[in-house]
Amino acid sequence: MNECMEREIQDLLPDVLHGTVGTAERARIETHLAGCRYCRQELDVLRAVEGAAVFTPLIDVAGIVRQIPPYGIVTPGVERPVRSPIVRWLVAAGLALVAIGGGSAVMTHGDGGEQVRLESAGRAHSLALASGLDQLSDGGLVQLMSEMSAFDGLPANDPEPVFADDAPIPTEEDSI
Amino acid sequence: MSKREEAESEPTDLELIAAWKRGDGRAATRLVGRHSQALARFAASSGERDGIEELVQDTFVRAFASLDSFRNESSLRTWLFTIERRLMLDRRRAERRNRETVPIEDADRVNEYGALDVLIAEEVQERVRRSLDALSPTQREVFTLRVQQGLSYREIAEVVDSTEGAARVHYHNAIRTVKEFLKDE
Repeated sequence: MNECMEREIQDLLPDVLHGTVGTAERARIETHLAGCRYCRQELDVLRAVEGAAVFTPLIDVAGIVRQIPPYGIVTPGVERPVRSPIVRWLVAAGLALVAIGGGSAVMTHGDGGEQVRLESAGRAHSLALASGLDQLSDGGLVQLMSEMSAFDGLPANDPEPVFADDAPIPTEEDSI
Repeated sequence: MSKREEAESEPTDLELIAAWKRGDGRAATRLVGRHSQALARFAASSGERDGIEELVQDTFVRAFASLDSFRNESSLRTWLFTIERRLMLDRRRAERRNRETVPIEDADRVNEYGALDVLIAEEVQERVRRSLDALSPTQREVFTLRVQQGLSYREIAEVVDSTEGAARVHYHNAIRTVKEFLKDE
């Protein structure tokens, strides 16, 4: 059997199946089919595919409708950004750091560390406000993480001296 | 009554959407009833085996939550197919990740297909199904959207995020493969 080169007709065969071609077009296609065995066979194949009973479960329409929120109600979770496990892990690690660091600051600095304690408590409180982590966008999480990394839960009383790489190392004579 | 006449006597999707926005719950029921089986069939034809009902439900919940972004540039069904296809791709990505750690037992796979085969009674239908399995995922999507759902190439291009010309090429390659498969069987 020779292949038919009437691509336009072949393109329209699925529309013939679904009854979505106009009357004039349908007549043209039927005229072509009458003389073209190749296209008739193709239409038979399409009928078989269209009728092929791919197993589909019967859908519970009422069950689905019950899940649909009324118009205007934003459903949490629908547009919630997908968050990678790594980000979740980082957030958890950050919160653990804050909890441990903040607690240590309060315990270590006793009465003399009133200023540090207040500062630490204040910042820990602002971080704790972000308890609704699932509501934060990824951008918000990144900001929170950078805030956490800048947060010094246990500031040193005697900061280490900082020297430039090329500066001479101070000796005891320098301090006299 | 022809399909066209039938469609004219029914309220359109846009009218039902407007009614639902005014608080008419029955409009949602009609919309879901109108499109749910087509979505289920598309999922099954695209190779989904489990959780089709859940997939259809997720598609509707997502669609209704963002109906304001539906611009009526395509039909509602095309838009729903687009949402469903994205969900299927997300699922497959997640399944691929899980497969790296939890391999599917061969016995489970045999059972799934065994159950499916029982439901496909006629031999010719089984052959057609196998011929569809021989297609690439994109060819199968394009072919089933064109033949089983009756979508135009423009609509198909929108669903599979491609061009009309590419959809046409996929369709012709698919029909050639299916015909050759059925001839060889």
